Amino acid sequence: MAKSLLLIAALLCATPALADNSKAHTPVVHDADGFTEPLTKLKFNPGLDQREFERSTLNALSVYDPLESWNRRVYHFNYRFDEWVFLPAVDGYRYVTPTFLREGVSHFFSNLGDVSNLLNSLFQFKGKRALETTGRLLLNTTIGVAGLWDPATKMGLPRQTEDFGQTLGFYGVPGGAYLVLPFFGPSNLRDTGGLVFDFAAEAQINFLNVSQVSSDHPEIYLLEAIDKRYTTSFRYGQLNSPFEYEKVRYVYTEARKLQIAE
Amino acid sequence: MLLSLRLAAFIGGLILSASALAVDVDAASYGYPLTNPFEATIATTPPALRPKLPDDDKIHQSDYSLKLRPERDFILPDNFWAVKKLTYRLAQQDHPAPLIFLISGTGARYDSAINEYLKKLYYQAGYHVVQLSSPTSFDFMSAASRFATPGISQEDAEDMYRVMQAVRAQQPKLPVTEYYLTGYSLGALDAAFVSKLDETRRSFNFKKVLLLNPPVNLYTSVTNLDKLVQTEVKGINNSTTFYELVLGKLTRYFQQKGYIDLNDALLYDFQQSKQHLTNEQMAMLIGTTFRFSAADIAFTSDLINRRGLITPPKYPISEGTSLTPMFKRALQCDFDCYLTEQVIPMWRARSDGGSLLQLIDQVSLYALKDYLHDSPKIAVMHNADDVILGPGDLGFLRSTFGDRLTVYPHGGHCGNLNYRVNADAMLEFFRG
Repeated sequence: MAKSLLLIAALLCATPALADNSKAHTPVVHDADGFTEPLTKLKFNPGLDQREFERSTLNALSVYDPLESWNRRVYHFNYRFDEWVFLPAVDGYRYVTPTFLREGVSHFFSNLGDVSNLLNSLFQFKGKRALETTGRLLLNTTIGVAGLWDPATKMGLPRQTEDFGQTLGFYGVPGGAYLVLPFFGPSNLRDTGGLVFDFAAEAQINFLNVSQVSSDHPEIYLLEAIDKRYTTSFRYGQLNSPFEYEKVRYVYTEARKLQIAE
Repeated sequence: MLLSLRLAAFIGGLILSASALAVDVDAASYGYPLTNPFEATIATTPPALRPKLPDDDKIHQSDYSLKLRPERDFILPDNFWAVKKLTYRLAQQDHPAPLIFLISGTGARYDSAINEYLKKLYYQAGYHVVQLSSPTSFDFMSAASRFATPGISQEDAEDMYRVMQAVRAQQPKLPVTEYYLTGYSLGALDAAFVSKLDETRRSFNFKKVLLLNPPVNLYTSVTNLDKLVQTEVKGINNSTTFYELVLGKLTRYFQQKGYIDLNDALLYDFQQSKQHLTNEQMAMLIGTTFRFSAADIAFTSDLINRRGLITPPKYPISEGTSLTPMFKRALQCDFDCYLTEQVIPMWRARSDGGSLLQLIDQVSLYALKDYLHDSPKIAVMHNADDVILGPGDLGFLRSTFGDRLTVYPHGGHCGNLNYRVNADAMLEFFRG
């Protein structure tokens, strides 16, 4: 014990001689009052005058947004709609339905969504993902009783979303102008196109006959919309900043890039 | 030499703690896994070591809003419509119970992650819980603050007290047996000043007050936070900004993992992976979030008071107006800049001048030393490796609070609040 302490002490004494001005390995010297001075562990820019935060942030603000004025109005429209219609509806939904039923509804729509996930995995020749999603569809539709239950996730096949916007991005289509869609929220030209395609594909494939039935019973769309809002945790005002629009725009753009790259 | 210094420090520490009797939790029996303060601050406790808490569905709660400053309808531009009223969240029990107020930290709203966590913890233990935004929060500044220039703790506490009174007035049927108060980070400093105010106003007669990771010297804390964005980060160059660096790491992490999975354990898991961030990168990340808060505060305060530093006075702003030019100006302003350009001039004008040192004394815990020393109902929990503290701050807490101070060896800034051991201690304090 004493030996190893000595060794450590020797090492610590040696580092200043070897290292540049790195302080990353200086010993933790306790103040008399027990304070361990975490900042001394860091290596600072000597002049304390780097403008990296400013540079990064200014850079992040340059998202192609020619329709900004229109987008901001839609953003406020969505915010109000959310506050006055959508969220109260979700609250009502939560109030009248027991938890297991809501979970069943979420799983059901999520299972339908797996069709489009599979399709787009195939479009991108992501073989492993396509196989896994096929496995999910088979398991959840049969054992999971038409998708009301999600045994696949429990068996180690997590949900992996792919949409047509991602497929387009995968083949190098750029995002294009940033767009805020009424009700749907942040998007861009490419992803809006993707959304339309996925919707059309869903109607064509008519998995479990849901699309056909929905055209006679629009309340299914309503349920789907409420479920979508119920499972989306984002709340307007949650970023608690006067610059929420800019921050959402950046996060959306980067999140899409990440989803496409992955 | 080094060893003897350490020994001296250790013995000094022993003597000091023996005379002050603060509760020092030792690292071995504490068992908190994150010994790196930056990692603890960002990732917080691994999910397996957190207390078991109820789901939102199981909590009887609602958001309410208060109209405290009707004149702001005319002062604030149209795109501030959402923050012309102050929203708070109340979780209520169906039986008479004590009520606990939670005050958020710097720039955070009533529903910040830590506030939500504390709500669940105390709700489960049978309290009514009211979650409040920080006086530095965008919504609080717009809807509840008289001067909309937060930083003068005394004034912030008065604004906060009015909000609390308004909350009670709006909930006349709530069966409250007694009142408690707690806050984390800057919210803890606010809680101390609110408690002091309550001694004379006597609206609540708080029975117990708990301060979680408060700044001691507010100026030290904001200087430390400003400094965090000055770390030397490897990998930043002309073509890669800091954000791109972090996002690149995140992308590679998800690629290696094979799928995107956002959950509580993500940050912890990420730090265990090959792509983990270095200390400097983590410090920069923490510094960045605080710089965003500083930008929000500087912009909002300037706009409401028409100071013309960021937004030109009379600049027409509607819902479609781009705020990006203002954002670009505001993000250049750190806490020090906000203090020098906005807080100090206003404070001087209102209080016949005074030096920066006097201001620091007034707005930090120093101002309440005697009160805190003589009030057995107030306790503090802090960490020995908290980045918002400076040398001597723990010493001040020790001599002021004595055995009402608990010092945890690890946890960074608020990272260990959701550790089981801390949760038990926080509940125990109000129970006992």
